[in-house]
Amino acid sequence: MRQQIFLATTMILLVLNGCSQTAPSIGNVSDSSQISGDTVSIDESGYGNESGNYNSSRDGFKSVYFKFDDYEIHSDMQENMNTNVSVGMSTASKIKIEGNCDEFGTDEYNYALGLKRAKAVKDSLTAQGIQGSQVILVSLGESSPICGDASESCYEQNRRVDIRLVK
Amino acid sequence: MRQLLLSLLLINFLTSALFAVDATLKIEKDVEQRARIAVIDGSTNEDSRVFNIFLSDLKISGHFLPDTTHHVGDVKSNFVIPALKSQEYIIKYTMSQQGRTSLFVRLIKTSDGVELFKKSYAIPSNKKMPFLIHKAVSDINKVLGYSDISWINRYVVYSVYTTPGRSEIRLSDYTFNYTKTIIRGGLNLFPKWADAKQRSLYYTSFRGVVPTLYKLNIYNGTKQKIISSEGMMVCSDVSKDGSKLLLTMAPEGQADIFELNLGSKTKKRVTNFKGIDVNGRYVDNESRIVFVSNRLGYANVFKKSINSAATSQVVYHGRNNNACDAHGNKIVYSSRESSNAFGGNTFNLYLTSSTSSSTRPLTTTGANQFPRFSADGSVILFLKQREGSSSIGYTNLTSYQSLLFPFNDRKVQAIDW
Repeated sequence: MRQQIFLATTMILLVLNGCSQTAPSIGNVSDSSQISGDTVSIDESGYGNESGNYNSSRDGFKSVYFKFDDYEIHSDMQENMNTNVSVGMSTASKIKIEGNCDEFGTDEYNYALGLKRAKAVKDSLTAQGIQGSQVILVSLGESSPICGDASESCYEQNRRVDIRLVK
Repeated sequence: MRQLLLSLLLINFLTSALFAVDATLKIEKDVEQRARIAVIDGSTNEDSRVFNIFLSDLKISGHFLPDTTHHVGDVKSNFVIPALKSQEYIIKYTMSQQGRTSLFVRLIKTSDGVELFKKSYAIPSNKKMPFLIHKAVSDINKVLGYSDISWINRYVVYSVYTTPGRSEIRLSDYTFNYTKTIIRGGLNLFPKWADAKQRSLYYTSFRGVVPTLYKLNIYNGTKQKIISSEGMMVCSDVSKDGSKLLLTMAPEGQADIFELNLGSKTKKRVTNFKGIDVNGRYVDNESRIVFVSNRLGYANVFKKSINSAATSQVVYHGRNNNACDAHGNKIVYSSRESSNAFGGNTFNLYLTSSTSSSTRPLTTTGANQFPRFSADGSVILFLKQREGSSSIGYTNLTSYQSLLFPFNDRKVQAIDW
């Protein structure tokens, strides 16, 4: 009887052992360290636009507005350009001309369009006597809208060139 | 045949219910060639987000046909329940996010219950949990001998406008479950990875009087001024070895493409056109570039040799093709296919080549923009806007698989991965 119990117990243990699962080894740490390093957090909040009213011209200059996908200065902007020539001729400071676009463009192409607008204003100013070396061009693309509504009157305000003195 | 058709319809329905698939894309044609696989969650706290990332990874690989049911079971057991006998493989996992994040995975062959692979993954940050899953799935894919999908492990870097005149540069995993802002405030735009290992990136800062290109090490914060230019300054592409950059600059107020040799600090003017030349990308072993120009009166894609003046048109359709990317000799571009002056335009993506004129449509609905090839050129990332919502999309060029992930940042400025 004792021998039968021993044999039965042995058989059960062998069977159970045969059915046991491979225990997973948790210690195998992967090479995922490549993405484990902490990345930086840089705060430049002290720079750039604070108020949201950054985008209009300053120092006596007047903004020049453009039609959709266009960089030609039209006749209705002539009065503003006359003012800009007058203000520009009266200063020896550097003049910064910023080209802006509406939101209908992508990536680099929209910045190039903003630049063409700024260049058109610069060419007009220099043709009327302002020194080219006095002028700095920058395109701000669609980054600095005055108006955020989805309407044509709003988009018109964003397709513009702003002018200011470099201080 | 009827059963096959019903199966295909069922699979398509299940996958589109879980993922926002672009249903108008070419229907998955080689379903039978992909391995059926189920995923069993053995975690103490089951998390549907974890399970869904597993499914995304398996699906976009193009090598698996994942069972979309969130099964729960013992991770240690090799026993396969009858309901899963139709699967070729089973992934069992446990995810723990107590303290550090750790993932344990096992891959079991269903037919004989043999364990093919097991591995543990750990990462200090809980927020980076998606990267553990991506790594595990790319390892499983490798173990099974499929073509490499390590692009799922990479960071996506993108810039978004926050308020007028301000932006942020952010990092994310490809599913956008992980996001982190690395540069907050100021106006910092056009991020572009500087090296294959994604340790540094280039970006344009507008902090000074003129736009300036910086190189930032994202791990130690080291920042290096590269070059500045009046008008425009964008790093459009980086050579494979990282020694040369394609830049859009405008030193005389005219946007042209330049190649900057970082070693010799010399720059070469590659285009010289009075209109707009932007968006330069290396093709054909970096002997030529493709770029966007308005030399025909509207934005279109052209190509030219780095060292000669001859320029040729690449794309012969579309009203406005104002963005492109390239990998090897493959070119993807965004084409505007409607003419609404304001909003509501359809932009579709097309795949073409620098060596042939064949063109393949990749999308058919919505506004699909910012196309970017993966590091191996097998997958294209893009931003999709449709019916007032935005998504980040991926299309696998080999398997025709596509996925869309919800994306809340409407004002994306630029993106790279």
